[in-house]
Amino acid sequence: MENQDTAVKAPPRPDASKTTLPQPGRPVPSRAYPGALIVVEGTDGSGKSTQLYLLKRWLEIGGYRLHFTEWNSSPLVKSATRRGKQKRLLTPTTFSLLHAADFADRCERQIMPLLQGDYLVLADRYIYTAFARDAARGCSHRWLRNLYRFAPVPDITFYFRAPLEVAVDRILSGRPKLKYYEAGMDLGLSYERPESFKLFQARILEEYDKMVDTDNFVVLDGTLPVNKLQKQMRDIVASKIDLKRFAPRTPEQE
Amino acid sequence: MPDHEKDKLPQPVSSAAPEDGAKPAAGDSEASHTFFGESLVGLNPQELNGSLIVIEGMDGSGRSTQIALLQEWLESEGFSVQTSGLRRSNLVGRDIDELLAKNAVTRLTLALMYATDFFDQLEHRIVPALRSGAVVLADRFIFTLIARGVVRGINRDYLTGLYAMALRPHLTFWLNVRPETAFAREFKKAQAISYWEAGRDMSLSHDLYWSFVRYQTMIKRELESMAKKNAFIELDGEASVSAVNKQLRQRIGEQLGIRASKYTPSSALAHLWR
Repeated sequence: MENQDTAVKAPPRPDASKTTLPQPGRPVPSRAYPGALIVVEGTDGSGKSTQLYLLKRWLEIGGYRLHFTEWNSSPLVKSATRRGKQKRLLTPTTFSLLHAADFADRCERQIMPLLQGDYLVLADRYIYTAFARDAARGCSHRWLRNLYRFAPVPDITFYFRAPLEVAVDRILSGRPKLKYYEAGMDLGLSYERPESFKLFQARILEEYDKMVDTDNFVVLDGTLPVNKLQKQMRDIVASKIDLKRFAPRTPEQE
Repeated sequence: MPDHEKDKLPQPVSSAAPEDGAKPAAGDSEASHTFFGESLVGLNPQELNGSLIVIEGMDGSGRSTQIALLQEWLESEGFSVQTSGLRRSNLVGRDIDELLAKNAVTRLTLALMYATDFFDQLEHRIVPALRSGAVVLADRFIFTLIARGVVRGINRDYLTGLYAMALRPHLTFWLNVRPETAFAREFKKAQAISYWEAGRDMSLSHDLYWSFVRYQTMIKRELESMAKKNAFIELDGEASVSAVNKQLRQRIGEQLGIRASKYTPSSALAHLWR
């Protein structure tokens, strides 16, 4: 009976500060909440979504407390994004801001509360997607860094790196037609969508590579076989995150 | 992201297109436009010939009345006029209306939606008008948006950084009124005070009147703190419509080189003239 109390009182991390509430527009260090945040990043076709799905399955089957979130998934700004894309109203600045508004909604309503509630949060793409893609569109790094300052810092950021040709081929073979913004047609790099897409992806890849050191990316080789990559990913997660804390409480433990 | 905390508030700088080697017009011509922090993607400010005039002030300060009159006066003087305001963008204007109506949005998301609305109008309405040499009358600008965010606890440097690519107005007028006066005027207009005008989301008071007065006082304090640095021209919004309008015409006339600034509203607008 008393064990419920101890479970609540036990400090989830030695240095977790319970008094630090999220401040909109201020960076949130990962020790400000008890949960943990795992992020995958990489260009389209790098295999990151497949890998995060497999990681999620592994954790789900193990019964861990987790929440999965995707980039650009909230219904809040969907209509605006759709309209902007259809009518081609979006500029690099408004494209970036709309995605930031969408992310802020997810951050304030799901990611932060779940991290504060001691969940393991898995994110398919995170703010680095915006840093890479919007910088490739010409937005300034300083402005972008400020824009996403409210985002909690991930515990692990996996960066799936695949050579440009591999990633581009994976996408082009799987999709009948590239969309206007997806192909970076708004940048005026080429009249041909596949060509524009390649040039745009090359810029994005360059931006991602710049963040490997500054943002502590864990670089994984996207060309490795799926199961080998997954093994690496699981080993890294197990070594960096105290998974026991997210496991279901068994009677023996208590 | 360890460098986030080191991010400094961008200092106001005059700026030209960074890529094409054009030198910034460092205040050497009256037509030079500057940004608050950094330049808008793909814009060369030297292409802009028009004038950007901003009217700030709380609800009930007489902004829209004055803008209607100024537009008529400027058009009668032969100037092309474009207007802008909050929630008027094609991109997200209606979406914000919906979010406000449903009251299902967090403060940061709302602030970013307003920023999207602002930049959509800046890029698709204000900049094209300034390129063609028009006078842009802006019914509120980044100052109100920053003030609203700050009073809701959003970091001030964050908001200033967000609006770093806003153009600096040539003239910024601030129609200053007491919240009590604004309340009476707004109430008379609609026989009601809206949820957002009264800042009800901030739980300041269950009493509608006090909620309105407290909220608008907080916003007013924020505008006061921005007034000096941004060269606000403060006008007494409690003076008569014609007296306020005369002062506005005088300053705008100086800016645009209009000599005689005599003006009487047409019959269509005569009802505003009291």
